[in-house]
Amino acid sequence: MTGTAAASAMGAASAPPNPALVKIRDVIYQVAGIFHPDNKHRLLEERCSKRMQVLGVANLRDYYDCLTIKATRQAELTALLNEITIGETCFFRNVPQLDAIRNVALPKIIAARAKSAPRHLRIWSAGCSTGEEPYTLSMALLEEQKKHLKDWTFEILATDLNERSLAQAQLGHYGAYSTRNVPEYFKQKYFLSRDRELHVTSEVEAKVHFQQVNLSDATRMASMKNVDITLCCNVLIYFDSISKRKVISHFYNNLLPHGYLFLGHAESLYGVSEDFRLVHLPGCTAYLKSAEKTLALEKARPQ
Amino acid sequence: MSVRESLLKKLEELDRMPTLPASLLPLLRYMEQPDETLDLQQVIELISQDKSLAVQCLHMANSPLFGRSQTVESIRDAVVTLGIQRMRDIAASCSLLDILPQGNMGMDPAVLWEHSLACALVCRQFARVIGFSDPGKAYLAGLLHDVGVVAHLWILPSQFSEALELACNEHIPLHEAELRLLEITHAESGRLVAERWRLPAGMISVVACHHDPRSATVHQDLVALISLSDILCRMNGLGHGPVEDREVDFEKEPGFAILLEEHPQLRNFDWARFTFEMEDYMEEVHRLVNLMYHPS
Repeated sequence: MTGTAAASAMGAASAPPNPALVKIRDVIYQVAGIFHPDNKHRLLEERCSKRMQVLGVANLRDYYDCLTIKATRQAELTALLNEITIGETCFFRNVPQLDAIRNVALPKIIAARAKSAPRHLRIWSAGCSTGEEPYTLSMALLEEQKKHLKDWTFEILATDLNERSLAQAQLGHYGAYSTRNVPEYFKQKYFLSRDRELHVTSEVEAKVHFQQVNLSDATRMASMKNVDITLCCNVLIYFDSISKRKVISHFYNNLLPHGYLFLGHAESLYGVSEDFRLVHLPGCTAYLKSAEKTLALEKARPQ
Repeated sequence: MSVRESLLKKLEELDRMPTLPASLLPLLRYMEQPDETLDLQQVIELISQDKSLAVQCLHMANSPLFGRSQTVESIRDAVVTLGIQRMRDIAASCSLLDILPQGNMGMDPAVLWEHSLACALVCRQFARVIGFSDPGKAYLAGLLHDVGVVAHLWILPSQFSEALELACNEHIPLHEAELRLLEITHAESGRLVAERWRLPAGMISVVACHHDPRSATVHQDLVALISLSDILCRMNGLGHGPVEDREVDFEKEPGFAILLEEHPQLRNFDWARFTFEMEDYMEEVHRLVNLMYHPS
């Protein structure tokens, strides 16, 4: 193979990135905490192009100004983030994260809580949209009842601000697109096929409790207690830094001492929270509450 | 004789172990020299002498991993566009291909090469970000850190294969599985190989101590840097195969404390962002290794 052929096999990732695009990428990371690595630049550019068409903006440099200088910058940023996260919701969206919850977080939580009653696990899907995430968790944890969650019960709190999303979530009916990643085993076991749609079974539904919650509502947030794992994927990106800090501090307080906070893919709390500790799990990152306690427990455990 | 003793004996004989590729040692020695004394022509000749090495170098030189802006057609082009430093990195990775056994040797050698190359790239990038003195040396150290695995592949393929299987089944790090089954880790075997090859002291230290940087007596900061980069690769799907079911807090890793002494800016390091940036490497390294192993 010649050098040229080798180069074409490498795809288009080799084109030097547009400096304006890199600046937009950095603004998004700084403001929304979601990072686009170089290999996602083309995707980001497409999303920007859609907005640029709407606004009639000719190039990325001018669009960068729309996001940073113009009076409508806040609204424009929200519009761009909507483009970025559009169509993201589906069952089994983030498999490494789900595996890390099942294989690393659950055993750690169970070990930390071995002596405390009741043997009941509380998971919170904050910003559950149309229900794919909490139902996926419900299925995975039902499977875990054969393994790590033997003799345990669990519940999944699924909250969202949007009433329409919640109504759709409670219905539990899904099309081919949002169920495209569901492994066959789960499809057979936890869905019923009805009129070209897939309906989640009552067993899966029974574990999920939907509620309307505004993450900025301090009173409501303070009432969410004793959570083992919180998932908040692609939601915090819409908050300004002050509100984000508030939400995160609520999440911190809502969690039990060994609790985990999982964010969306490539989302980070850098510069937002000094309380949470970043940990790397296989194929994903998570934020852990109370390092010292967990560490002490680990040391106390016989080898 | 215990398992460990018999393995050590085999390793010491090293009769089936390949020698260090002829082109690699001069390249490593070059690393020790200041940039301005390096001779462009000599690098070109060194690489061009070995035809297969030259072809492999061109493949790699054209990868976005090495930041080229236009297609390079000759080694001279490559050296001129990419610079001597990068070309040396590339040649070193390619010459390493030659020491991997071919065929069924207990592990797909492409996987090991993929891990080594990814680790080399992460090491170099990490070195740059934290202001480590010599990113080129970090690259080479990342490339060579698992040379002990190569030794295991040559000398005890079937036992090594069992260790790898154990690591995959139990979701534990490879060196822990090796210790249980072989009573010796690739770090220990690697030290024997690295010493026999007369690698520079820093490289020997990295090979021998990358799973326990505190035990390094020389070049401890280089060992620490490679140790953290290695963990980062393994936790992000660029290990040797096993998914390690564990939780890593980089700020609690021994390597972190060592590096922090010399590089206080590491205190505020954005580990999340660095991890996301690595995604680029992962996809690209995977594509590149496939290209080198299965050229059409």
